[in-house]
Amino acid sequence: MRFRLLNLNVVILALSQIAHAIPAPRARDDSFENLRGLTRLQIDRSGKEGDPPDKYFHESVFHPHYDGRFANKVQSYNSRIHALTHLIRTYLSFTHSIGAETWIMHGSLLGWYWNRRIMPWDSDVDVQVSERSIQFLADYYNMTVHTFNVPSFSEEGNGEVDGNGEREGELESRNYMLEINPHWTNPSVEDTLNVIDARWIDLSTGLFIDITTLRRERTAEKEGLQGTMMCKDKHHYKADDVFPLRDSVFEGMPVKVPYAYGSLLEEEYGIDCLTNTLYEGHRFDPEALAWKRVTDHESPRTSPGWYPDRGRKPSRFRQSTKKPGLKDEGHAVPGSSLSF
Amino acid sequence: MPPRYYHDTGDRHLIDLIPSSPTDLYVSDEDETFYAKEDGAYITTNRVPRRIQRHIPIYLFLLLTLWVSWRTILGPRYAAHRQLIKEMDTVPQSQYGANMRPEFKDMIMVQKLDTKLLPQEHHRLVFVGDVHGCIDELKALLEQVDFREGKDHLVLLGDIISKGPDSPGVVSFAKKIGASCVRGNHEDKVLLSIAEMEARHEPLPGPNEDPSRSVDNLDEESFSQGDYKTRKLAKQFSKGEIEWLRTLPVILHIGQVNGVGDMVAVHAGLVPGVPLDRQDPFQVMNMRTINLKTRMPSETRDHTPWEQFWNHQQKKQKKSDRTTVVYGHDRKRGLSIEKYSKGLDSGCVSGGRLTAMVIDKDGKEKFVHVKCKGYVD
Repeated sequence: MRFRLLNLNVVILALSQIAHAIPAPRARDDSFENLRGLTRLQIDRSGKEGDPPDKYFHESVFHPHYDGRFANKVQSYNSRIHALTHLIRTYLSFTHSIGAETWIMHGSLLGWYWNRRIMPWDSDVDVQVSERSIQFLADYYNMTVHTFNVPSFSEEGNGEVDGNGEREGELESRNYMLEINPHWTNPSVEDTLNVIDARWIDLSTGLFIDITTLRRERTAEKEGLQGTMMCKDKHHYKADDVFPLRDSVFEGMPVKVPYAYGSLLEEEYGIDCLTNTLYEGHRFDPEALAWKRVTDHESPRTSPGWYPDRGRKPSRFRQSTKKPGLKDEGHAVPGSSLSF
Repeated sequence: MPPRYYHDTGDRHLIDLIPSSPTDLYVSDEDETFYAKEDGAYITTNRVPRRIQRHIPIYLFLLLTLWVSWRTILGPRYAAHRQLIKEMDTVPQSQYGANMRPEFKDMIMVQKLDTKLLPQEHHRLVFVGDVHGCIDELKALLEQVDFREGKDHLVLLGDIISKGPDSPGVVSFAKKIGASCVRGNHEDKVLLSIAEMEARHEPLPGPNEDPSRSVDNLDEESFSQGDYKTRKLAKQFSKGEIEWLRTLPVILHIGQVNGVGDMVAVHAGLVPGVPLDRQDPFQVMNMRTINLKTRMPSETRDHTPWEQFWNHQQKKQKKSDRTTVVYGHDRKRGLSIEKYSKGLDSGCVSGGRLTAMVIDKDGKEKFVHVKCKGYVD
């Protein structure tokens, strides 16, 4: 029932990409003025002011996983899950329709492993693309806005609302924008300000998907070491662990996952990540196959805790120091220094 | 007349001069009287028999050896063994298998063997480990076990392709004689590569391919990294052979075999205590060891061999609930036969042997080998 609804709902309304009249192909500034008509905000809440001039993507002033050009507040727990779910569904639908190769990684891959859904405490979604794909997306789809019909969300738990806060049968249209970081052409890990190559942004909530490019490690190739790949966020991979990709399902949509998904997850999050059923205040219910909140907090969860190591040293060279475990609510620091 | 030498005359012979009482001379030092003195006092300080005294250094040396060997070898081994048993008996709070099983397109997880194929009068089951394209050896082996097509049933344990000389030959032969086979890691990789190629129509040229071929497609990046050998191999198969490979299940549930009990065939291994349909397919095709703390299988050799844990767990079950796993995959460990696990990869493609396990109607197992030429190191 759920899945049928889902397929109906995530219908692309306007696949015709509204190529915005921003003519310059060069590193245009994503200035707030250029986005009039797309954003509801009057004031730019992005952290652009305080960021170095070379940094392209600016996290918002209130939380690192929101785009301050489109949002000025964090979403509630349920609303965030709803928004992230449709963020990944629409992204997968879009990339599938244009044939761009993409697959899930990091926290999203872990969510897929547990129950093929995003993890409720995660506040972003992580995907990777091939170098060919980012080239293609940059050439033809940068700054395109895509409108999808998604189920309406209601905070109130009345009769017509299902477990996810979605209103039965009610749809609303939401806009999503693909934005490519012009610095994607620079493969150097020294470019620490621009480790994210692109974003798929939900214009109504400001939440986004981080898109990183998996690149051949050309320096290693020159030294004769074949088959290693890397991202600008300094994650290194063996090509054999990622390719050939497998076809599976994530949030009800067809998705690609890396070949050796288990070893990749263990390498990144430690061996416990595939067995530990208690995480971030959630317990995995093996009957319902879902993460349930252990304590019921009404306040929006702002803990950035899931990626304590993002953008730092490659995980391969460290042992499992990063198992998040059950985090104390009180220590969650909104907008802490975990921005990339 | 020779002179007579009488030392002491009289009517006594010399022999009579020798004292005859054994208590005087042949007294044992273990005898109480030995220590007796004329005045009736006893020596109490030196009552250890001399024979024992002589041997004391030897005893001490033996004791020392025993102590040293206990401290250095036996003790730690015993402790490790006890620790292993303890770990195998402890049920971790959170363990492998709680998640929703990863599911993939075009991958059959569990298949049940047709009960008609089970061993019975004149019908045997023949299991053969990793063939890896060694068609000549496979045929020779079947000849050696006197395999009768249509009567005996062949079960291949995955990795029948790649590395060796004739992968398509093995596939078409297996298909022809109606053999069963499980999906090994090599079949898995080749099938995924084929799916990628089909999705893309035209892969980028690899080092062994015609470089003049046109390159026009988007996102073939994974191929430019990809394993050219796998792709080259993938191209050797006919459509029918690929279709047959696609139908191979990750787990082949053989079922109740007379005299053996429940049997399962997989390529690499299984985690005990997790139902067949909740096993992680990647691990079923790749595992070698199990981390006992989390019960998480691993392709590395860092933990406890999975079959050791499997056998331990089976012995704790009721007889009727025990399952025997037949598998391949681990050529380094080679032939590994235990009560509830039968590892049959004896390294054919690298010059070892190709092994068949034959189960007859009474459940008796027989192992037959042929020597292999060796095609890779």
